[in-house]
This record gives sequence, C-alpha cells and structure tokens, in this order.
Amino acid sequence: MDTTFGAATPADRHPKPTERSTMTVLPQGSEISRRRLLQFGAAAGFLLGTGSLAGCAGPTGLPGPSTLTLALNRSLVSLDNKLNQFDAAVTVQRSVRQGLTAIGPETKPVLVLAERFEMTGPTEWTVRLREGIRYSDNSPVKIDDVATALKMYKQVQGSFVAGFFPEFPEVVPMDDRTFKMVTKKPVPILDSLMSMILITPAAQNKPEELQEGVGTGPYVVTKFNRGAGTYSLERNKNYWGPAPHIDNVEVRFLPEESSRVIALRSGEVDVIDSITPDSRQQLAGLPGVQLEEASSLRLNQIFFNFRKPAGHPLADPRVRQALSMAIDGKALVKDVLVDSVTQAEGVTPSSLTGYHKTGEYVYDPDRAKATLAELGVKDLTLKIIWETGEFPSDTSVMEALVEMFGKIGVKAELQQFEPGGNIMAWRQGKQGDWDLLGNGYPSPTGLAITMLQGMYTGTPEKEATRDTYQGYVIPEVTAKIQAASAEADPARRTQLLNEAQQAVWDTWPCAWAFVPKSVLAHRNRVSGISLAPTNSYPLADVRLEA
Amino acid sequence: MTNYILKRLGQGLLTVFLTVSTVFILIRLAPGDPAVSYAGPLATTEQLAKVREQFGLDKPVLEQYWIFIQQLVTGNLGQSYSFQAPAMQVVFERLPYTLTLATAAILLTAVVAIPLGVWMARRPDTGREFGVNVFTIAGQSMPDFWTGIMLLTVFAVLIPIFPASGFATWGGLVLPTVTIAILQIALISRMVRREMTANFAAPYLTVARSRGVHNSVLTWRYALGNSAIPVFTALGTRFAAMLNGVVVVEVVFAWPGVGSLIVRALETRDYPLIQATVLITALLAVAVQLLIDLAYPLLDPRVRLGKAATA
Repeated sequence: MDTTFGAATPADRHPKPTERSTMTVLPQGSEISRRRLLQFGAAAGFLLGTGSLAGCAGPTGLPGPSTLTLALNRSLVSLDNKLNQFDAAVTVQRSVRQGLTAIGPETKPVLVLAERFEMTGPTEWTVRLREGIRYSDNSPVKIDDVATALKMYKQVQGSFVAGFFPEFPEVVPMDDRTFKMVTKKPVPILDSLMSMILITPAAQNKPEELQEGVGTGPYVVTKFNRGAGTYSLERNKNYWGPAPHIDNVEVRFLPEESSRVIALRSGEVDVIDSITPDSRQQLAGLPGVQLEEASSLRLNQIFFNFRKPAGHPLADPRVRQALSMAIDGKALVKDVLVDSVTQAEGVTPSSLTGYHKTGEYVYDPDRAKATLAELGVKDLTLKIIWETGEFPSDTSVMEALVEMFGKIGVKAELQQFEPGGNIMAWRQGKQGDWDLLGNGYPSPTGLAITMLQGMYTGTPEKEATRDTYQGYVIPEVTAKIQAASAEADPARRTQLLNEAQQAVWDTWPCAWAFVPKSVLAHRNRVSGISLAPTNSYPLADVRLEA
Repeated sequence: MTNYILKRLGQGLLTVFLTVSTVFILIRLAPGDPAVSYAGPLATTEQLAKVREQFGLDKPVLEQYWIFIQQLVTGNLGQSYSFQAPAMQVVFERLPYTLTLATAAILLTAVVAIPLGVWMARRPDTGREFGVNVFTIAGQSMPDFWTGIMLLTVFAVLIPIFPASGFATWGGLVLPTVTIAILQIALISRMVRREMTANFAAPYLTVARSRGVHNSVLTWRYALGNSAIPVFTALGTRFAAMLNGVVVVEVVFAWPGVGSLIVRALETRDYPLIQATVLITALLAVAVQLLIDLAYPLLDPRVRLGKAATA
C-alpha cells in the first residue's frame, strides 16, 4: 500500500481538542474541514448503499393467490429444447411451445398440434394440422413452420434432439393444413420423435436455442431473467385448447435441494420436482404437502467396460453374470435408495413402449463365488467410475457395491468424477482403464427402441472413434435392433424388439440396473397434477384451491 | 494526488489483467471439456469436434488467448455456452443481486460490530464482556451453510416470517444478510475491541482524561478515531471479497448472485462466463480497494497519499 503515515507517537496520532479545525489540503487547494469531508463521505456511503439496495436489484415479484410457483432444480435458460432438455424443464417448455405430438401418460405419442399423424407408407407419414390453431401473437400455424423447425433442429450444433433422428424427414405440403413427411428409410417411430420438435413461426426460428418468441401453448412468457433462471407466465389468450385453470405461473430456480424442500414446507413455492430419496422421506407425511410418483424413462446402470481384450475375465459373459450375482439389488433398493427406484427386469425401463421383460438380477453370492472359481477367475480387482450426481445416493450405492463384491472375494476401488470433469475421456478409454461405470441413459421418446439404438448398436466404425456405448459392439445384437427399427409392421416390430432385448440381456452388459421413480412434491392447495414418466405434467390441467 | 490515483489505476488494471490471464490458463489446464458439457454425454466425436470448432476451442491456446485479449479490449467476452447469451450480459444480470447482498451485509456489519466492539472495549474483563465474547467466538466458528440452514429452519419454516429463498420480496434479503453478517460482526467487533483497548491504554488518552475530556469524547472521537483505519480497511476488504460472490450463502438461499453463477460456469466449463465473471469481480475488488486507500486521508489527516513521510 502506498500510503504513508506521519509521526508515530499515539499522542500525535490524534488531534488535540484545540486542533478541531485541522484542515485537509485537497489537490485543488481549497480547504474543507475533515469533519465536513467525513460527513460528506458518510452521506455518500449511505446513498450508495441504499441506492444499491433500491436501484440495483429489486425483488423478483411475490406470487399472488392465483399464481402457481414452481421451483426447478436446474436453471431454465430458455424455453426451447434444441440444445438442452432436462426433465423438469419439459413441463414449462411445453406450456409455452408445443409439438405436433407429445409423449402421453402411457409413453405413447398423443396428438397436439396435429389432428392426424398417420403412417401412410413405409417411408411416408401423412399429417394434418388442427384447424384454427394460432400462436400467442394470433398468427396461424403453417406447414412452413414445421419444415423450418426441422431444418433448425438439424442445423444446430450439439443438438440434443438430432441424435435421436435416424434421418430428418422432408416436409411435402398437400394443402393448407395437410402435408407428408417423407424419409429415405422407414422411420416407424416418427410420431414419437416429432414430440421433441417444438413449433415456432418460421420467421422467428433460428438454428440456436430460442430465448424468447411465441408459441402455441396455454401460457406466454411475460417476464424472464435468464441469469437468475426466473420466468413469469400468464394465460395465452389465443390458446387453441381449453383455457388453463391458473392465471399466472412463476418459475424459479432453486439449485440446492434443501432450499427447495424448505421453500415448499414454508409455502413459498407450490411444486418442487426431481426429489432425492432423502428428501422424499423427509416430505412424506408432512401436513400440507403431497407426493406424486411415476416411473421414469431413465435406466441407471452399473455397466461393464466392453473394451476389455479377449481373455480378460470381463470379456466373458459368464464372469459378468457371476459378478452381477454378488449384488443384493433388493437391499440396495430398500436400504440405500429407500424404495425410490425399482430393480430393472430387462434392458430398458418397464415404462417404455416396447419394453420386454428379459430376466431378473439374482442375488446369490455363493453361486457367484463358485462360478468365478470354476472359470478360474482369481484376484480380480474392479475399478468403478462414475460422475457425482449421476443418480441419487450415488456414493452410497457405490460404497455398498464395494462391500458386496468384497464378500465374493473381488476387490473393488472407486473413482468419482465431479460434474464438468473428464469422465467422458475415461469412458472412452482415453484416460485410463476401468471395469464398471455408474451411468444413466434416458429415452425421451418414451420408446424402448430409442434406448436400444443409443446403447447397443455399436459397430467397428463407431468404435474407431470411440462413439459406441462403453465399447459395446456385438454385431448380432446390432442387426436385431436395426431390423426392429426398420420394421413397419407393428406386430412384427414388437416381436423383433423382444428378440433384440433378450439378445442384449444374454450378453450381461450390466452388473445391476434400476429405474428411478420421478418424484414431485406439491402443496395441498395444488391439484390436477398428473405426473407422467417424462417427469412432466400438463400445466394447463393444474388447479389452485382458494 | 492525481498521479497517485493514476498510478493506482495502472496497478489495478495490471492486477486485473494478470488475474484474468491466469484464469484463462488455469481453466484450460483443468480437466473437462466444454464441448461435452454443451453437447451432452451422448454426443459423438464428430459432433464434439463441430462444437469445439464453433467455440474456437480447436485453435491453439495462444491463438485463443490472442482472441481473448482482443475481446477484453472491446469488453465483449463472447457468448456463454450454457446461457447462449453474451457472457457479460449474463454477469450483469446477476451482479445487482450480489451488490445488494454485499452492501446490506457490510452495512449491517458496520452498524452492529463497531458499537459492539466499543462496548466490549469499555468493559474489559467483566462478566458481560466475557458473555459477548463467547457469542462472537461462536459467530466466528459457525460455518455459513449451517447458520443459514438454522436461520431458514427457524425463521422460514417454524416461525415463517421471512422468505426461504430467492429474492421475491425485500424480506428475502434479511436471512442471507444476517447469515453473512454474523461471521463478519464476530470478526470486526473483536478487531474493534482490540484496537480500542490498545488506544485506551495509550498515554495520549490518559493525558486527555486528566484534562477532563468527557468519557464519550474519549471513546468515540479519540479512541475510535485512531482505530478507524484498520477497521475501515477490514470492512472494505471484506466487502470486496463479498463482491466475488458469497457462494455458500447464495446456494443455501438460492440467491441469484455472481457466486452461484461462477459455480455453475465452472461445472459446465463455460469459459467465456468464467472469464467474464472473474473480470467483473476483479475490477470491482480493485475499485473498492482503491476507494479504501483514497479514503485514508479523510480518516487520518496525517496520511498523505503517494508522498513520503514528513516529520
């Protein structure tokens, strides 16, 4: 610090009473008493302080009695889904922007902006828009808006949605409201895939996540602060469907779960979602609070590394099966995950359309031990990796696994990665070797085939760039899944899909897998919430009691 | 004076430049890939490569640094990956909340801690002073997150008189402010007490007392006046630190400030947002420090900024 003090004795450090008129010489040469300056400084400080308080940031608005307040666990940076889509965002996104279809409560596509969406040929779908549907700015929904939306989703870099489309269809208008969607190869799940394409007026659509803009949903955005993650919605006066029951909706971002729980308990927010088992237990039975549960579209797995060389114990499916027998799944579900999940009985969640039960994870440590001995597997050490927050109670689950493997004489070590770290490079085998990965995989289309395509259709070409799912390349399985994907006949497709799922199960890709439940808590004054496996619900159906 | 200010401004700008440059390098050395955070774990190698190209992350680090310097000069640090908006704009949307919280906390600290420290200094080694001391030590020992959660439980759930989170009403400012201020009050009041006790024992005060100067004048004008610089410096330094975001408190109270923003930016490896946040908070910290230094002559007339000591 370049300040210099004068003489040092304490007596000198303070002016004597007779020296009250000591002057501070200002650079300009004018003389003002120090007291006056201090008074001025104090006043300026007060003004700055209160000015900051009054002017810099104001309250974001107290919700009224006819306002529903939702608290999300992640910041809703936009009401578009080209790049991001996390579960809790769907409710709000779909209340402002809509697609031709949506994933219904039974994970089957339901019509929204389309009144007809029908496969009229192996590579052709015929779609008819509802009559009279308009955006919130009162402009009509046109076929060109659909064509433009598809182009924009295709063009955006790092698109969340594009990866689910084997190919983007071409839109061929037939009349004002009717058009065909044509693909080169059969895409029998196009009606489900189109649920992810949100329709915006063509002139306003861009190959990026839209921050503002108009939609056809029951609500419109009146105010938002992207930085703070807050949105204020009000009824869309031009909404084509039945008017929503609630006038206003406030969306807030409360990242810390304990804060969300306290906010709900205090009545400050009406709905919180994505609740962990601990909070679920804490909220269950509390007066004034109700819980809603639904199965989810996500499968969490303890997945084997399929990049092991031939001769490695984990390259043998019998070893993988034996290791799975070491895991007491029922105990994990009951004691660690406190019934917030269900043990998988297949390679996809049972909530998905096209799910097929293929088998069960059996806990039999004696048999596991005997099988490993029989197969000559000795001194096996497993390295388990996962990213923090991949699923609730992740660390507890992993610690329990170490203990369970220990009981059959298999050592296990854990390596945990923080979000944003380099687990991707590890998963791809670029940073180091591992044996088991704690991971989750969603199917936002609500279809089993989407999950199978994403995880089990590895090819040598994809593996060359490490784009397979943990090195899973089994050509027979890939062929079965591809055959099911391209089959237009529903009955035959179901049969092929079942066969494909059984084929995957028989390769023992997972030591254990479970399906988390979507859990939501709301105040008693809120009704009409029908939580779907998509972890979302139609906002227009929600009611508030006086 | 003008030279001094210019010199300090130059030093401040150099500090800011070195800070943002260090951060630029460190975040690139840290593990993690912004492209993965942006495109998600299901993205293919080809998609990730395209994203890196889009963000300019495929360029050599030196070239990225040169682009960053050019952006720094123009004040546009690029587009936040996660917010899809100009990084500076995102920071400016959050900054008022941090400024508000920091200002409220430092005002509360000053208003409570200074009189409390004086009160303790005037009653050394008494039972009452001991009692207050116990509270200040407790205030220093309690972690922010614990204090925050306790306050929330009592004043937002059990006796619901304040909002639990966010900034929906002015009442929402109370609990986070008190949470921050508890620790600061404990620290500053003990500092005031220490300074005041030393001044009370100084010969000049004994002389003044023997001259019949009133006790309140001795306390508030003489002793406190001579304690002002270290106390003011401590308050200013703590205020500057708060401008970097009071991360734990912001998270507990869902306060939409800069602290929670930078946590999120780090988690998503949002380079432009990290750099913009560091730039703004570093500038503010330097500005506050400069203002503190400029205020010294007002607190003690013998201080001459930028000049050598004179007898």
